[in-house]
Amino acid sequence: MILAISVVIAVVFASGAFLVLQRDLLRVVVGIVLISNSAILFIIAAGLSRGSAPIYPIDEGAVSDPLVQAMALTALVIGSSVAALLLAVVYRLYVSHGSIDIEEIFRMEMREAEELESMNKTELDPEEEEVADERKLEKEEPR
Amino acid sequence: MTPPATLMVLLPLVLALLAAPAAMLAGVYRPRLAAPVGTAFAALAFSATALAWWKGGGAVNVAWAPTWDLRFHVALDGLAALYALLATGVGFLVLVYSSRYLPLHLGHGDRPESEGTRFYGHMLLFMGAMVGLAMAQDLVLLFLFWDLTAIASYYLIAFDRHDAEARAAALMALLVTGVTAVLLLIGALILYSAYGTFSVPELAELVEPGPLLNAAGLLIAVAALAKSAQVPLHFWLPRAMAAPTPVSAYLHSAAMVAAGVLLLGRVYPLLQESRILLDTLLVVGLLSMAVGGVLALTQDVLKQLLAYSTISQYGYVVFLYGLGGEYGAVGAAFYVIAHALAKCALFLTAGAVTEETGEDRLSELGGLRKPLPLLAAASGAASAGLAALPLTIGFFKDELLFGAALARGPLFAGAAVLGAALTLAYAWRFWAGIFLGERRDGASNPPAALVWPVVALGGLVLLGGLWVEPFARLAEAAGEVIYDAPASIEPAYHLDLRPENLMALATFVLGALLIFSRPVWVGAARGVAWVGGKVGPERLYESSIEGLNRFSDRIHRAEVRDLRSRVAAILLPAGVLVGLGILVTPTDGVYRAGEVGWHDVPLLLALVAVTLATLASTLTRRHVTLALVFSSAGYVLAALYAFLGAPDVALVAVLIETLVTLLFIATLKLIPYKVLHRQAELPLRLTRRKVYISVVAGAFAFAVAWGTLSQPAAESSTAEELIALAPEAHAKDVVTVILADFRGLDTLGEITVVALVLLGVVTLLRGGRLR
Repeated sequence: MILAISVVIAVVFASGAFLVLQRDLLRVVVGIVLISNSAILFIIAAGLSRGSAPIYPIDEGAVSDPLVQAMALTALVIGSSVAALLLAVVYRLYVSHGSIDIEEIFRMEMREAEELESMNKTELDPEEEEVADERKLEKEEPR
Repeated sequence: MTPPATLMVLLPLVLALLAAPAAMLAGVYRPRLAAPVGTAFAALAFSATALAWWKGGGAVNVAWAPTWDLRFHVALDGLAALYALLATGVGFLVLVYSSRYLPLHLGHGDRPESEGTRFYGHMLLFMGAMVGLAMAQDLVLLFLFWDLTAIASYYLIAFDRHDAEARAAALMALLVTGVTAVLLLIGALILYSAYGTFSVPELAELVEPGPLLNAAGLLIAVAALAKSAQVPLHFWLPRAMAAPTPVSAYLHSAAMVAAGVLLLGRVYPLLQESRILLDTLLVVGLLSMAVGGVLALTQDVLKQLLAYSTISQYGYVVFLYGLGGEYGAVGAAFYVIAHALAKCALFLTAGAVTEETGEDRLSELGGLRKPLPLLAAASGAASAGLAALPLTIGFFKDELLFGAALARGPLFAGAAVLGAALTLAYAWRFWAGIFLGERRDGASNPPAALVWPVVALGGLVLLGGLWVEPFARLAEAAGEVIYDAPASIEPAYHLDLRPENLMALATFVLGALLIFSRPVWVGAARGVAWVGGKVGPERLYESSIEGLNRFSDRIHRAEVRDLRSRVAAILLPAGVLVGLGILVTPTDGVYRAGEVGWHDVPLLLALVAVTLATLASTLTRRHVTLALVFSSAGYVLAALYAFLGAPDVALVAVLIETLVTLLFIATLKLIPYKVLHRQAELPLRLTRRKVYISVVAGAFAFAVAWGTLSQPAAESSTAEELIALAPEAHAKDVVTVILADFRGLDTLGEITVVALVLLGVVTLLRGGRLR
């Protein structure tokens, strides 16, 4: 049983890692959700005892470890919050760059950084820099 | 010790440390008030120090961190009194000067008056740190005050923060003195490991000559020499002239650079046990005298000239320490007093002249004795003091120097004469360059607060020449602490042909020769300065800073170039650490497969379903399918939790899975189909590397999970206690009561995280705005 659960934890983790490595940001989010799922399964499986639910009235015999369950609950809630935040970030990136492809976005940002750098070389005045920053911010938001 | 006596010793320190917050508070209330309040506190601290010293001083020694053998041990001995009086007294005069100078300085840059508050706060912080440094007897306490001075100096040098030059200079001063400060701490720890105490007086009795003392002493000496701007760590001082003039005047006469020789004096009882250390000091002192003196003769900018002069003058002090003996110890203390008074006056002169004429170069100045007669006279007295002419306190400093050098040998006496002649030459060059010769441009009547501090200091220099007794007694008291034995000196004028007088005479002749033969050697001296600038230690500093910067840039670029390398930068080291952990943990017979019974069949089926669903999620191309597949994996996991006796987790997992799936679908709705389709159409090539990485990651996860789960369960656990306690908390569900009661604060933190995430999500969806 231990071996079987370990294998499943590993498979879920590896699938998550594979998805995190993709170019598609939505897949990256799914990968992170899967990795957190594998962590939760790991926490639950690490319970020191297995048996009936720890809810009164408790029968004679083994009772499942309630401590790991409480921890798993916390991890679940935090994990879902992280997923929500990541999805919002992906949406934001789509709005500013028109793409959810990490490589495309990276190329765009590099281009922008180079533009800024060349701008800085010609205009070293700090006030101008601020203007350039503002300009960049405006460009990010095609509303 | 009786309480009043304790109070008496602590009062100077407390007053000096309170000065900075008091001035800052006053400045916040009304910027105009910062200067008078700060000046008043400096005067109070000076009076308290003088009074406590007059009453006989004393010490306070209480446990601070007993488990680490740290003690709060401060004492007002001779050495402490000397440096505390200098720091507060000169500080007082400089603050009076600043009260007029700073508004003018801020006015030039159109800066608000409130910036002055910052200036006074840092100046007084420096003063407090100096008083603490002077009184500290515990090496760790000393290190704390030492670093405090470095921090205060950083802010003071970069006071004109709009000036890139000033910022670079401040960073250089901080790095040179701050990095070497660590050596002081290491030296202190070496001594502690050998003798079990940080207290300097106790160490002085315990230490024995040997390699350990040599190493520790050398580390401490390097810290002190860097602070005192001694060759080859001198280059930060001329750069630090980017600071406003009062800062230079204070830091380079009575504070920052004085801290270095103060530390040398404090640990001198340890250093003088080792011949090698004293010889090192001798060499460094001589080098600094020569380098500082020659470069001072080449400088055109007033403050630069004075900066190199400071390097050379503290070279004398280090030289005196190196010579050792009674005369060396007392002479070093006396030299510091004489130099501080004269040098501060000269810096303030430079500031006043620049403020009046707008020029800061000798080649642009001249003939100012007519419009500024009082300033000319006062700074003339100070220059004479620096040049060691008779009737000034400076004469005695050179008398002591010559005496100490003579005792060592004719070669050292010759070096001392040569150094003193260089001093005479550049002191003359400074004063004559400003006040003699043809008048270049007009200077109006300068404000009194810019002149009177110079007059006061010049007066003190003259007073010391006529009535040397109080200065000599103070230096003697300090010398006894440095020398760790009774010491006495009898500075006086002797109208006979004793060697000291002959040496002084030789100095004057040599100095005059140097002044008149300037055209002959000035080219060579400039050449030395040029070569020093090309291959000197400053270049080394700059190239190492640049190198470090490039190195950090390269790492930064490699690490955060894109998301994948960012993730790899975290996961790879983590994976290596985990791998190492698995490798070094003994694993023989630890792994267990566990039993499988008939009742486990549903569980196994669920596990198979989860495996299939997650594997499928890696192969799907369309996003909607992906959402369905990964959520089905989640639902099966929820069922799995139910089989494992965790109904609460199962219920929450179902809710969460629904929520995340809905959010995912909603996000798909927000992003146009075209964009999503492009991702779905991405060819599935180049995936071999990704598969490989994922398999390795999975293998690690498997090793960790199996290893952990195989560990035999503990006999009793907190879980049993929690289960037993649940009825007392009036709950039936143990998990609920853990979350809501036993670990309620954790849950509160979790709720906070969720609330913050919600805020973040709302902000992101609205384009960076909450409303």
